[in-house]
Amino acid sequence: MKTILHPVRFAGSLLAAGAVLVFSGCANNVNTYERAESQAAPNYIADKRVITDNTLAGTVRVVSINQSTVSGNLLKIQATVENLRSSQRTVNYKFEWIDQDGMALDSANETWKSLPLQGRESTTISTVAVSPRAVDFKLKFRE
Amino acid sequence: MKQTISSKLVGLLAVGALLTFSGCETETETRTVDAKGPQAINTSAINSQDWANAADQLINSLLSSGALNNAPRTPAILAVDRVINNTTMMVDTDLLIKKIRVALTNTGKINITNTMGLGERAVVASEAAELDEMQSGKKAKILVPDYTLYAKLIQQTDKNGKIAQNTYSFQMSLVAVKTGLTVWEEEKQIAKQTRGPGTVGW
Repeated sequence: MKTILHPVRFAGSLLAAGAVLVFSGCANNVNTYERAESQAAPNYIADKRVITDNTLAGTVRVVSINQSTVSGNLLKIQATVENLRSSQRTVNYKFEWIDQDGMALDSANETWKSLPLQGRESTTISTVAVSPRAVDFKLKFRE
Repeated sequence: MKQTISSKLVGLLAVGALLTFSGCETETETRTVDAKGPQAINTSAINSQDWANAADQLINSLLSSGALNNAPRTPAILAVDRVINNTTMMVDTDLLIKKIRVALTNTGKINITNTMGLGERAVVASEAAELDEMQSGKKAKILVPDYTLYAKLIQQTDKNGKIAQNTYSFQMSLVAVKTGLTVWEEEKQIAKQTRGPGTVGW
């Protein structure tokens, strides 16, 4: 017995399959809930951005950068980053420190780190300068 | 005549094969990469990037905790206690501890004593102190540590079909010697999944 597929039914099945694929693609997106009026008072800093990879900049965005001091005199930097895509992406980032004289401070622990982000997820990355001489920083991203 | 054509064909094929395979032959190449960067070879074990990341996360946690703000002196004296390796790997735990030592010393908040603790460094430092005592006739004044640092590495392996996951836990505690209280402790984990051959997707 040979089953003959009706063209309308076939098109319907195709649409349904497409819809399943499309919506399953969004399954990894992250919904976030937080206090409507934040009680925290972060010390946001103005940042300068040098974009050489537009694709990367269109994938992950640095929303804000704030700083604080820990252990008395060590600078701590926190960046809020957001995945602009609706699928999971992994980027690599690295912090670098600079002293008062503009010299780069070598830190064995500041390495390229992998950051997996779910679709539309916002998260924070942070680091602490291990030298009290650190006054400035650079945050680098690469794919 | 037929035989001649077929022998020519075989000859041509042989030459072609020779050219093809000699073209595929590549010489051994070595390149220098950033040991702590994404180009480091990733395996199911702890690679150079993982050691650096674990050390960085632990240091960030310790410095952010403010535990060293209440140190009895600055710089405080720290003795490195045992580092227990409960993984299946033979690893030199200095891959982690040295990074922690370097970072803590750089902060200016910690001095690490070598006259206590385990390892080659402690033996040499103790011998040097003894020699100094003998030569000077004075009892060497050894600073009692304010803190001890203890660490443990744990590996957990899980398998689901052809996917295996190794989760490495890096545990670390800072203990105040006078009170015996743990003033800071942290656990950081790195999970690595390995897909078996023939597996499609994760």
